Order: sequence, then structure tokens, then C-alpha cells
Amino acid sequence: MIKKSLGLIIVIITFSSCVAVKEYEKVNINDPDMALANKKSDRNISTAHSYREAASGANGGKTGGGCGCN
Amino acid sequence: MKINILTLIALFIVVTTVNSQETDSTSVYKKRVLETTEIDFLSSYYSQDGDNAAVSGGVGTEELTDITAAFIVSIPLNDDDILTIDAGVSAYTSASSSNINPFDGNKPADPFVASSGASQSDLWANLTGTYSHSSDDRNDLWSAKLSVSSEYDYFSLGFGGSYAKLFNEKNTEVSVNANIYLDTWNAIYPTELRSFADGGNGLNSDFFTNHTITGNTNYNPKFTEFSSESRNSYSLGFGFSQILSKNLQGSIALDLVSQKGLLSTPFQRVYFSDVTDSFIDDFQLADAVEQLPDSRFKTAIGGRLNYYINEMFVLRTFYRYYSDDWGIQSHTASIEVPIKITDKFTLYPSYRFYNQTAADYFAKYEEHLSTDTYYTSDYDLSKYAANQYSFGVSYTDIFTKFHILKFGLKSVDLKYTMYDRDNTLSANIISVGLKFIMD
Repeated sequence: MIKKSLGLIIVIITFSSCVAVKEYEKVNINDPDMALANKKSDRNISTAHSYREAASGANGGKTGGGCGCN
Repeated sequence: MKINILTLIALFIVVTTVNSQETDSTSVYKKRVLETTEIDFLSSYYSQDGDNAAVSGGVGTEELTDITAAFIVSIPLNDDDILTIDAGVSAYTSASSSNINPFDGNKPADPFVASSGASQSDLWANLTGTYSHSSDDRNDLWSAKLSVSSEYDYFSLGFGGSYAKLFNEKNTEVSVNANIYLDTWNAIYPTELRSFADGGNGLNSDFFTNHTITGNTNYNPKFTEFSSESRNSYSLGFGFSQILSKNLQGSIALDLVSQKGLLSTPFQRVYFSDVTDSFIDDFQLADAVEQLPDSRFKTAIGGRLNYYINEMFVLRTFYRYYSDDWGIQSHTASIEVPIKITDKFTLYPSYRFYNQTAADYFAKYEEHLSTDTYYTSDYDLSKYAANQYSFGVSYTDIFTKFHILKFGLKSVDLKYTMYDRDNTLSANIISVGLKFIMD
């Protein structure tokens, strides 16, 4: 799977060189709802996922920062 | 695997080095990374119920409530640097964990009835400090993090760092992050097993003198205390994000996690099919506690794609694939459509789907054999699918008219989430977020 991921990263990097949206054209991109991350206020929902779901990462629940065992 | 990880690191270095040699046409006008001190207050109420408690070997109530509160204070130290202090507490009451000792209540012990003893509640506290620095052109961002968290039977010390590089006129970002958690258990075992630890009196202990065993009266569990109570987690993450058009941007992230040490939960019971059952009241005595391997390697790759439809609608999508060497594979997909109904109010309807395969070491109640090396009946490691529906509303006041002391209220977020697994567990979450900024 890592090889596939690597391939995907290379493809995206290659294509990325074709795109250059200027700063003054980023009004829509800079909309807070376009952020490429969860809202800060959703953190406790993510914490619940890390407790109840086996596929959690390394930053919460059963893999660190607490045992997540309840 | 090590070669592949090294390949990814090498690729990251090459990409960042090559692109750092490009001249970024973006203006070098230097705006403060954070204009003023911000305070976020986050709180949530969580409740769940189900019929497959891991503490009682896959049968019994999973009823649990949890109240969480946290303050996140972000302080600009100068134009380029931010110090963030994140302090939180979480208080829970759990019918499941109360049955670590189901015999200390006023009612006959029963896996579907909460005990009233000390193990029914606990407090988790966390403190995290993060220092971040941005370069003058805002194309390089470094951060370092230190965290501690504590609860009655668990202590965690974590530290980590990250680096992000923007280029292609800030249309492209690559990042890498690493975290280490050094955790320590204070192992708590089911009450009936404690007198079978080294030096214990077994059935001659005070506990068994004061309680009458029914069923198999020659109770003889398979039990040895864990020799090591440490758990270390190491994670390495790579990120890539790209603006694809004026209205579209996406990202992908690869996470690699290695864990070593005590990965079993010491108070989770297991019942074997080839051992005759013993009871006190209506509670079946443990044949053993969960045994899981002392290492685990996790790999996850995920992506986001967000599209700005128009001034009213945004489309936010997410997908993540996960795999580990315990035999678990998982898919997560979510979609959210923020709807700006006025310049101050936005609605957040969303749907999330999650599924996972079972760990190789999972079996249901009374389905393990005593000859197995590894065993667990924790349904969080079972095969299941879950649907989640959320609805949130956000209020934003860019003029921060409402004040508390020197801080103006900038936004309020309120969200209700319903989480439903296909193995009886369901949960409800109400979360609140307030953001204040200093005048």
C-alpha cells in the first residue's frame, strides 16, 4: 500500500505544478469551511471515535494520551 | 517496510529542497501569524449504551457518560511565533468499568447492572503545550509539542514535532510530523482474579471466604499479572495538500504508527468455551484477562476534497483506509455540506460511515479456547459498521460585540451527533465550542 501511496503522491505533485491560483483569487479557498481539517469544536467527537474504533491514530484514545479503555 | 519509510522521507526532503529553490512570487509583506490572543472553550456531553461490555467478557452493559471541558489558549509571542496551551479534563461514569468489581454494590452482581463501587468513575486530565514558528515569507512552519495526561490507572507523556513547507505560490503544501507517547499503566485487574496473583491465597482469600461460588466451585482461572506496564507509541505522518482551482482543494495524508508494550487492557475479562463456568450471584467469574500481542503496526492513508459550490454551500468530503498487523482493515468516509443561511449563521449537516474487520484475536463470549495464545472479547476490536449523523449550527460575529472581561466572543459552535453501530452500541454526543479573542 505504501508503494501505491508513493505513486499517488508523485502523480499529485506532478500535476500540482500546473496549478497556481493567485493570492487575490483565493477568496473562496480561504473560506473557513474550506479548511482541510476538522473544526476545532469537533475534537471531542474525534476523541470518541478514537476510543470506540480500532482504526485510530497515534494521537488519542487507545494509542496515547490516555488508555481509552472505558 | 523500513526501506519504504526511508523512501518517503527521502521524497519529502527532495520535494521541499527543490521547491525551496523556487522564487515565490507571493508578496513578502509580513503579517502577524496571529493578531491577538485567542481562547477556545470546548465542551461535550457523551453518552453510550450497548450490550457487549469488554470488562465482562463481551456481555453486559456498556452504559457510559462522559463530560469534557477544555481551554485552548493561543498566544502570539511575536510576529512569527505562537504558544498554545491546551488544558482539559474529562469526567466519566461507566457501568461497564464499575464491574471491574461487580461485588461492591448493594444489588446482586450482574454484568447488566452497574456496581456502585469506586471503579464506576474516573477523571482524565491533560495538558499540552505547543510552540510554533513561521518563516518570514510564511512558507515554512515548524512546531514542537509536549503533553502529559493522567487518569487513575494510566499516565501518558507525549512529545512531537512537525514541519510544513508551502510553495507554488502557496498552492501546494507538504508536511511531516512525528509523535512519541511514553505511557504507563497502573494495572487494575478484575476483583476475583487478584487473589490468584503471585503470593495470593486463591480460593482461601478473604474475598472468596465472604462470597459463595456457584456452578464450578473449583474456580481456577488462567491468570498472571502483566510483567511490564509500559506502552510506547511512535507515529510518523506525511501530508500533501493542493489547491486545484479557485473553488477546489484537496489533501492526502499517510500515517504510520508503531506500538510496543502492554497493549492489552488489564481489567477486560475473557471466558473460555472449554472451561466450566463459575459464578458469584449472577456474575460469571473471569477465566482470564485479555491477552494481546506486545506490538502493533498501523498504516493509514486518507484524503480530503473540499469544493466551494457558491456563497451558500460548501461540499466537504473525507475518506480514509486503515490496515494493521492485527488483521484489522477499515474504511471511513464522510460528507458535510455547510450551509451559510446568513452572514452570521451556518448549518452543518453531515454523515459519516465507518467499518472495520475484526482483529485476529477477537472472539465473542465463550468462543475462545484456554489453549489460545491471544484472546479478547472487546467489541471495539470486532467486525462492525457504524453510521453517524450530525447536525451543527455555528454563529460568527466578526465584530465580537459580546464581551467577557477583555475578550470578545467571535464564534459559537453547537453540534449534536448520533452514532450507531450494528452490534448494539449507540452513542449521542452534544458538543459546544466558544471562541474568544482579546481586544
